[in-house]
Amino acid sequence: MDALLAADSAMDSVKHFVNVLCEPHWFLIISVVALIVFLLGYRWFTKPVVAGAIAALGTLAFIVSCQDPNFVKIVQKADNVPIVIMIVVVSYVLWLAFRQAAINDKRLEEGKPLLEAGADDKVLVWPDLVYIELIALVICTAALIVWAIMLPAPLEQPADPNVAPNPAKAPWYFLGLQEMLVYFDPWLAGVVFPGLIIVGLIAIPYIDKNPRGNGYYTFKERPFAISTFLFGFVILWVVLIVFGTFLRGPNWNFFGPFEFWDHNRPAALLNREPRDMFWIEFLQRPIPGNYILRELPGILLLGGYFLGGPIILLVFFRRMYRQMGFLRYSVMSFLLLTMLLMPIKMVLRWTLNLHYIVGITEWFLNV
Amino acid sequence: MASKELVTKVWIEEGCIVCDACETAAPTVFEVQEETCVIRPAALQEDFNKPLTQEIFDAAEECPVDVIKFDTVTEEVPDDQVDPAPAAAGEEPQTRPKAEQKPAEVASKKADAPASTAGESDPAIAALLKAATSRGGTAGIRRKEQEIPAGVEAVRRKDPRELPPDARQAKILEAARKAKKDPDANRRSMLSGAALTVGWCAFGTGLGVSVGPAMARFLMPNVLEEPDPRVRVGKLQQYAEMTHGDVNEDFKPQGIWMIRDGNRLAALNIICTHLGCIPNWLVNDRKFKCPCHGSGYKPDGINFEGPTPRPLERFRVFVDAGIVIVDKSKKYQYELGQWDQPGSYLEV
Repeated sequence: MDALLAADSAMDSVKHFVNVLCEPHWFLIISVVALIVFLLGYRWFTKPVVAGAIAALGTLAFIVSCQDPNFVKIVQKADNVPIVIMIVVVSYVLWLAFRQAAINDKRLEEGKPLLEAGADDKVLVWPDLVYIELIALVICTAALIVWAIMLPAPLEQPADPNVAPNPAKAPWYFLGLQEMLVYFDPWLAGVVFPGLIIVGLIAIPYIDKNPRGNGYYTFKERPFAISTFLFGFVILWVVLIVFGTFLRGPNWNFFGPFEFWDHNRPAALLNREPRDMFWIEFLQRPIPGNYILRELPGILLLGGYFLGGPIILLVFFRRMYRQMGFLRYSVMSFLLLTMLLMPIKMVLRWTLNLHYIVGITEWFLNV
Repeated sequence: MASKELVTKVWIEEGCIVCDACETAAPTVFEVQEETCVIRPAALQEDFNKPLTQEIFDAAEECPVDVIKFDTVTEEVPDDQVDPAPAAAGEEPQTRPKAEQKPAEVASKKADAPASTAGESDPAIAALLKAATSRGGTAGIRRKEQEIPAGVEAVRRKDPRELPPDARQAKILEAARKAKKDPDANRRSMLSGAALTVGWCAFGTGLGVSVGPAMARFLMPNVLEEPDPRVRVGKLQQYAEMTHGDVNEDFKPQGIWMIRDGNRLAALNIICTHLGCIPNWLVNDRKFKCPCHGSGYKPDGINFEGPTPRPLERFRVFVDAGIVIVDKSKKYQYELGQWDQPGSYLEV
């Protein structure tokens, strides 16, 4: 009996520890560190034995976690099942690409031909492609039918414009955008940044003209391009969807995966403004009435970030600057810094409750 | 030293089926256009073709309709440059048209190469299959990276009439002839273009003027249903018992929170100023909290949590015959200093 109790309390402390690790700033930092460690040791991590062991451990942790009622409730929600599948699929596809990249990089070092050398990228429509399509069609249809029967679509009461569900969540593929809206002014997070994502993607062929890696898997030849892409995709998209799906609970507060979704859990999140910190706490003077002067500390911070950032980045990117020239380097560093601004602002909000770095509400300019 | 057969001139006869096989085999020599295949200008030079002999041989062999013809010359080359395959066929000494000999050659080569099973009997189908399956991959990339020699520019600058006629050059010559015959053609085509532009503009303007207003009217609703913006929220005495910071949620379905701010009674708009969700009143925390992005407001409507940039809006309130009426058509915003304007509150 005592042993059981001891095991229970040990389990509780483990769950509590996981809940603490899932606090947003720890979760984000751990994700970034995990990505960096994976990229540094991709040859070791993608070995079938290692990757298989990680997958087995993850599955075991998932099964053990499913003993917890709060965890099961979140994971089994019909809306959230696709996200569980998405985590598995993204991990698998990452492994698949990096496994081939690891093999190719090794072969390049040994002077052997690449995996893809001499490969045909053409197959015959009939019978190869048509058969594959037919099989895929049958499997997808069957899977969707089984899924629809096992997990019926969640239907709720008729919509009432004066009542919002708590928490009110966007469809899963927009949860990353919804998470961005928590940290920036709506027109920035909802219009400018998504637009910038699309413009940035369009700009890639003009910024990155390096032909290496075309038609074959490699990481060693394109470490910067692939790392940047993975940061944008895994951290700024997949992790944000995981935040929105599993960690955002009632009143849009963060909840750990083993935590009960308590609608009345108190949360003190008093916003702080850089203007208050600078004028009142630092200079001990009243805040100036002119909004430019009022927001000067934030404007200087942000201006320094976007003007000084590219110069500081030159320490690492000197060779790249010589290859790219001024204009392309400026565009590249602007897009890169904008991308980095996202997690910086998020961590500032979580740790310091920083409201807006620049908050000119008069112009709807709140960054 | 050994002898080697080198291509000096290559051309294309009538009957090309634009199958892309030759451009795959020798992309610097052949260019498959919409109706036929042409020889790239650079490949009209003898020196350019010689190093590409093997590729031109391959292309001719892969051509399913055998329209690629070429002249060859046998030259002495160092031993290490001799390619075994063309050397076997390179016994005839001087320039000769190759057309008659080709089918036999194709057949003999097919025999010793392990050809794909499907089209083995028919050399044309075999060539098509080979062309379809041998391109792409890293080999294709490597081919594209190959630089086209400087001779291209030199040939491009030449007068088209100096070059032997193939399909593209014929077109150029034809165009040049036409231009000479009719010096006014340019001016005429420009005039007709201008006339067309003016005509279409006039048509568009006429259409816009005549149909535009009707279209605009069609986009407007026929009946505009606007409920009375004035909401009766009960007698003034009802709110006398409220103390500072109290919130009355009775009229939330009408979009109103009645709040007490000091000795003032005011009506808050329930729509979040961040992105228009409906916040909830949390009694324990004594705050309005939006379930969409986590914006938080104090009981008087001032924002203090989450992303929202400004406080909740207040409606106009007035008393008519002892009844408090909220006029939702008039809003007061804190950041514009309007909360002290008369009409935004009732003294209790």
